[in-house]
Amino acid sequence: MNQKAHTAHMPDIQRDTARFYRTMSAPALVLLTFLFLIPVGIILSKAFITEGGQFSTERLITLIRDPYILRVLRFTVLQASVSTLVSVLIALPGAYLLANFQFRGKSIIRAICTIPFVLPSILVVLGFVIFYGNQGIINTAFVKLFHLSEPPVKILYSFKAVILAHAFYNFPIALGLISSFWEQLPVRYDQAAMVMGARKWTVFRTVTLPRLIPAIISAATLIFLFCFSSFVILLVLGGGPQFTTLEVEIYRRARMTLDIEGAAALSLLSIGFTILLVALHLWSQRLLSHQEEIEQIDERRRGRTPTSPLATISSILYLVLSVIFVLGPLVGIVYRSFQAPVSRSQEMVFSFVWYRQLFGFDRAIGSPLGIAASALVTSIVIAAIATVISLFVGTLLAARLRSKEAGKGASIELYAMLPMAVSSVVIGLGYYLISSTVSHSTMVSRTLIVLAHTVIASPFVLRSILPEYRKIPRSYTQAALTLGATVPQTFSSIDLPLLRPALATGGAFAFALSMGEINATLILSDSSVVTVPIIMYRLIGSYNYAGACALGTILILCCAIVFATIERVRRSSSHA
Amino acid sequence: MHETSLVCSHIRVSYPEFTLSLDLAVNKGELVSIIGPSGCGKSTTLQLITGLLTCDSGTITLNGRDITQQPVWERNIGMVFQDYALFPHLTVEKNIAYSLKLKKIGKTEQAQRVRQLLELVGLQGFQRRKIHELSGGERQRIALARALASEPQLLLLDEPLSALDAKMRRHLRKQIKHIHEATGITTLYVTHDQEEALTMSDRVLVMQQGVMEQFDTPEEIYNHPATLYAAQFMGEGTILPHAIIPQTLVSIDKGPDTVVFRSSGETRQIFFRPERVIVHDNPSLAFPEFLPHLRFTEASVLSCEYQGGRYLLTCGWHHHHILAYSRFKPKHDQVTLGVRINDLVEYVDEAVAR
Repeated sequence: MNQKAHTAHMPDIQRDTARFYRTMSAPALVLLTFLFLIPVGIILSKAFITEGGQFSTERLITLIRDPYILRVLRFTVLQASVSTLVSVLIALPGAYLLANFQFRGKSIIRAICTIPFVLPSILVVLGFVIFYGNQGIINTAFVKLFHLSEPPVKILYSFKAVILAHAFYNFPIALGLISSFWEQLPVRYDQAAMVMGARKWTVFRTVTLPRLIPAIISAATLIFLFCFSSFVILLVLGGGPQFTTLEVEIYRRARMTLDIEGAAALSLLSIGFTILLVALHLWSQRLLSHQEEIEQIDERRRGRTPTSPLATISSILYLVLSVIFVLGPLVGIVYRSFQAPVSRSQEMVFSFVWYRQLFGFDRAIGSPLGIAASALVTSIVIAAIATVISLFVGTLLAARLRSKEAGKGASIELYAMLPMAVSSVVIGLGYYLISSTVSHSTMVSRTLIVLAHTVIASPFVLRSILPEYRKIPRSYTQAALTLGATVPQTFSSIDLPLLRPALATGGAFAFALSMGEINATLILSDSSVVTVPIIMYRLIGSYNYAGACALGTILILCCAIVFATIERVRRSSSHA
Repeated sequence: MHETSLVCSHIRVSYPEFTLSLDLAVNKGELVSIIGPSGCGKSTTLQLITGLLTCDSGTITLNGRDITQQPVWERNIGMVFQDYALFPHLTVEKNIAYSLKLKKIGKTEQAQRVRQLLELVGLQGFQRRKIHELSGGERQRIALARALASEPQLLLLDEPLSALDAKMRRHLRKQIKHIHEATGITTLYVTHDQEEALTMSDRVLVMQQGVMEQFDTPEEIYNHPATLYAAQFMGEGTILPHAIIPQTLVSIDKGPDTVVFRSSGETRQIFFRPERVIVHDNPSLAFPEFLPHLRFTEASVLSCEYQGGRYLLTCGWHHHHILAYSRFKPKHDQVTLGVRINDLVEYVDEAVAR
């Protein structure tokens, strides 16, 4: 019979599709491997291999036994724990209000929740100094209002400053994650508990809270990860050896004491910790998705307008305080950038002097502000290229992961997310080690910065595309196929247009990340390549806050554009 | 003479749950319904025909052309998906013209074809609408128009009405029938609704566990189901052991005795539909039936549901349940039921599938 022959040549659309996506994503995988595994591999080899070329774990063991390193580790974990706790505690009441009430200004809080993902950490540092510093806006206001002789708030360069800055930076993440999950908890469980005689507080304690815990863990692990690998905030606001964290120590050894091997060994410790945290985070997300599967969200809780005066007052209070807390420092930066002292007096007046210096209309001799304009161009070019590459990598990988059946392809997904599990300081160190092996030129430095930024941005791009890709029903592809489209045609005429909002969001994230990236850049760059955050760092270091504010305002403007794009896409897609 | 259009011969596909085997020939211009419970392989059958799935063995020919080895995009078979799968990023017009654009047909011709198709489905002037602005019924019709755009030789509909409410379903049923008559396109219609299958089709294919149970006209399927499974799936009915015949048979001398009675049939079963049962609620009056029939005396009425126009009675008789339609509500708890011998269907050695 010719049936056997048939089997051999059967057109198998699933096999064809799988082959198409596999082929298409191959360059992305290869690129990611090169960009990520090589730097990390170099770090590992430096950590384990002695000058004689022997493999040895001795360096690592001595390091772990070193009381100084142990103190650094202890402090790193301590500050991350406290920061996480404070962030979650600030977020919880807000999450309650957002999930249960409908009030004016709710969308403002919602919008604030996306800010930390696009806000460069150097702006956090600067905003913090401007807002809470001894000459900062709060102190000036208090001194003027109550005629004090001393600034009342003195928290700069202390443990409190680090915690407060981390909370300001991270509580919106917890707020966003917890409230969006809380909103989706069906009300009927609460109602069932109440019918059975539970009071409001008991309902919260016995029904709501246990179901919120995965969301809280998810937010907490993410925030812990961010605070654990936080770098510039500690470098500037910590300001002393007693506030040294693992990342700061890696930077110090790599770029100040030139103990590369020590830095590499410490990086290994850092990678170990962060991978553990990412694993925890992924596990909690899996818990969340399990719950969602069970829910089959049929009726969401509808926000009601607050009825009791207590609810009204607390929602207004929370709104006002969170806006001041988050937006205050940013507004402060913009405000200060237009202020300059009148000659020989403390009086400040409105002035464009910093911007004139920035764009070279006034000369700023000896100040880093003089090269700010060219740094701006460099930053934009680097960010644009990094965005394009990471969009390419993210889209192709997402396409491949989506083409797999549910449950498969987890290893590729994990692999693509791996750069997230390695702190940007460590990635920067890896590229610094590469740069020390090749000949120095501005072009090489710029390329390495672009590549490092691509590695950092790619997982974020993938994360914004993949969930949207998975939402596209398979029947769309099947329908296009029956209508005569080939597999590549379904990709270009169905998948890509439907992904446009996700691509815009992913691209915007990548651009903002690269524009504000300082950790990897600071470790990696020599003096030949300067980006906007680097100049800001130098300006802060030389106490030229006003100049930093002018540059910061421009960075805020860039982020605001990105932020507006994301918001617009989010709104238009929720309307559709 | 009928000209065959679609022929699936010796198709076999193995799945972990079941093995699908198909052998059917559909005539040109015919509307064939495929009916069965979920997971019986009806949708799989459609996907095999479109080429979205591959069969392990066998051949599929369409209008004499072997399409078994053709990729999906070359087969030119129109398909309406259960969720319609209208592309949300395209307007109604661009959705319908999708296949035309792939075939590089001119813009003006595309526009004209879209206009014709919208007219056919009764949605004139919908060209610029967005998909999310359409109601469920409108989406269904646009999906139909899109499937017909490239003038396919075969139209497949995968439970196209399942997402709609009952009233809309009845309305669109008529319209699909109308469009089928207007275009004369060979159509396969997958459904799990027996009423839909019976009212719309020229022939019905009943499937279970990947196996064709019966492939026949709606009348035959309903009145003479080939298997007990088909009988129960296509509507209500009563199953009784064959052995009750001797004690209930009323043979009238005047009538021709058509009963072929086999005494050895312990495992044999009989089946009849509730509308074939005559209900009589006054035992003192004479039973009006004059042809050979089974008579169940002193059946007790267990439940009586009013269904609008008739009552569905569930009666208990000697530990058996008998379903019967009645025009009136019985005045007594005890009724007499009668079924003509001609209305019985006999099954041999078959386990009751429930």
